[in-house]
Amino acid sequence: MKSRNVASLLVGLLAGTACLTAGAHHSTAMFEWGKEVTIEGTIDKFEWTQPHTWIWFNVPGKDGKVEQWGLEGMSPSWLGRHGWDRRSLKTGDKVKIMIYPLRDGRNGGFAVRVTFPDGKTLDELPQRTQ
Amino acid sequence: MKIITTVFCMAMLAGAAVAADKPNPNARPGGTWASIAKLPDWSGVWDPALGRPRPGDAPPAPPKLTPAYAAQYAAFQEKNRKTPGLNFVTEVANCVPAGLPGSMLQPYPIEFLFTPGRVTVIIETYSVVRRIYTDGRPLPADPDPSYQGSSIGRWEGDTLVVETTGILPKTSVLGGVLGHGEQLRITERMRLIEPDLLEIKTTREDPTMFIEPYTTTARYQRHRDWEIMEYVCAQNNRDQLDEHGNASIDLERKPGE
Repeated sequence: MKSRNVASLLVGLLAGTACLTAGAHHSTAMFEWGKEVTIEGTIDKFEWTQPHTWIWFNVPGKDGKVEQWGLEGMSPSWLGRHGWDRRSLKTGDKVKIMIYPLRDGRNGGFAVRVTFPDGKTLDELPQRTQ
Repeated sequence: MKIITTVFCMAMLAGAAVAADKPNPNARPGGTWASIAKLPDWSGVWDPALGRPRPGDAPPAPPKLTPAYAAQYAAFQEKNRKTPGLNFVTEVANCVPAGLPGSMLQPYPIEFLFTPGRVTVIIETYSVVRRIYTDGRPLPADPDPSYQGSSIGRWEGDTLVVETTGILPKTSVLGGVLGHGEQLRITERMRLIEPDLLEIKTTREDPTMFIEPYTTTARYQRHRDWEIMEYVCAQNNRDQLDEHGNASIDLERKPGE
């Protein structure tokens, strides 16, 4: 249900506008948009930057070797008005992140929802209430 | 004494010439600080209410396009139907700002500043500034083309009517269609439809592209407690187009990042 809400928000954002995407300035073509994959690991760095925030995320592979994932997120312009700030994620935080993965199979994707060990979540694309 | 008289006469003549040539800009709505106090209150920050159609809203009418542009538009629609998101990629992914009217339809907010004879629009996305002269000057006859064009405005009651020409032909005025004619003219009618809801009706006229003027409506919600944020697109843009002009993403971290 949650993902459907996100999808309808994005459809709404895309409808009738010039070139809008979730990312404001580029298409979502590189992601499998809507395909939910959850990965678990440790925050290496949270970049609070325009035009996108970035999460560099260390994920233990099946062989125990840590792989680094690069996760694009919404901009500070968006997240800063939806409950996030530059300290929302800290280096060393152990979290689960639901992503829409890259189509090309590299270790990357679009960060959609972060879940902390205590169950608290942070959504990048919350349903807007108005 | 003779010099003083001459200067005085020249000043009188100059004043008479100005009075005959153009109307007094101070007499127009918004021409003085006192006059600005009588204009509608547009202070605060305005969030484009994208994706929030209201009950009873008709779906936006499709544009009526000339054959060349119709083919381009249909091809985009078809491509987007097959693969949503796999669609329209423009230079904005490389941090080149959107031109008017796309610049007014970005997801991040805008604000308005009223000063005598001028309305300034500050657009957060790409840190764009529009200067709309309301002092009665005409549109420039031969403007240097620019992303936001040259704009003049006038108050019709509580509605600000803005006319813009001189928009760079390589910008996009319609999703999926790149470019437009040099004679593109944008007319925007801006007014409050509720105390905290601003409506902008945007009409695009370009005989090389539109068979008849094409109008869309956008709404913006006021947030008095928001501030416009800095937006430097080049700060950390990893979404530059690849060598074929397609969407791509750069996952390489540079040392120290």
